[in-house]
Amino acid sequence: MEEIVYSPYFGIALSILAFGIGVKLHQKWKTPLCNPLIVAIVLVAAILLLFKIPYEAYNVGGEIINMFLAPATACLAVAVYSKLAILKQYWLPILVGCTAGSGASMASVYAMCRLFHLDESLQVSLLPKSVTTPIAVSVAESAGGVVPITVVAVIFTGILGSIVAPLLIRLFRVSDPVAAGLAIGASSHAMGTSKAIELGEVEGAMSGLAIGICGMITVLLSLLIL
Amino acid sequence: MKIIKQVGIVFSICWISQVIEKLLPFTFPASVISMVLLLLCLLTGILKIGHIQEKADFLLSNMAFFFVPAGVSIINYFDILKSTAVQLVIICTVSTVITFGVTAWSVKCTMHLLNKKAQKKEKEHC
Repeated sequence: MEEIVYSPYFGIALSILAFGIGVKLHQKWKTPLCNPLIVAIVLVAAILLLFKIPYEAYNVGGEIINMFLAPATACLAVAVYSKLAILKQYWLPILVGCTAGSGASMASVYAMCRLFHLDESLQVSLLPKSVTTPIAVSVAESAGGVVPITVVAVIFTGILGSIVAPLLIRLFRVSDPVAAGLAIGASSHAMGTSKAIELGEVEGAMSGLAIGICGMITVLLSLLIL
Repeated sequence: MKIIKQVGIVFSICWISQVIEKLLPFTFPASVISMVLLLLCLLTGILKIGHIQEKADFLLSNMAFFFVPAGVSIINYFDILKSTAVQLVIICTVSTVITFGVTAWSVKCTMHLLNKKAQKKEKEHC
């Protein structure tokens, strides 16, 4: 029985099935709480725990899926490149906004980690939590963080951002669509961007750009401080 | 063959980035190097967007899926999560609001300054 679950096909098939269910649920209810990634993680974790399947067995296939993370990150370049025209037009506000936002995100996380006396590995796991998952994971990994904590924090931030974005726009009285889009992208990466696209074309494009730019800035900032 | 070629291009860039990562004197994530490298290739025209379009669409539109295994490994860290869950939620929530506010405000200020400059220029021209 043991060797059956140690096949790479098991982990991959289980992940795809769980993610597929997540996508279906998301289409049905359309709430950010029903995020396909969260549903998939919960389903897979539940099945592993329920049937007492060791994590190592699942991870034989899991590692193959992980291999696609780097190419997926590389392709963020395509997302930035396809918005080159709008990037050229607003390069200064984009650069200033993304730098200030990434800096504020890391500074506030750092301050609160100190306040709560969290240990250093948790601190570096949380520092990059406002940027897109592949970049956040690589930053946390190279600084010695706990990668799963980073993944959970990034997803939580993304879901939160996509829910509260319209509220924050009113709270901070952001009337300019460029500012709104960049703020959403800087604070809640790709999940916020899906909300920004609903708000308007400029918001969506700006939010999408902020993902890649904030990612790069966060990597540079983390090089300076870690 | 088209897709295979695109996979080949993207994977080659990833591999070259891993080599660069090893050569760099400081730690810089290979995946981010590959992103910068790909962007440079596109900007300089070494690669056309058509060379990698389908592969990029496939990876970008399924991005979330590739994080399932990374997320599932949380079952190995339940104890850390349990003892710090409240702090984690507070940290994520507060910093998300701060990040949003700071970004929106700094963009607004920059745009305002740019507009003022543009208006001044216009006046000088008149």
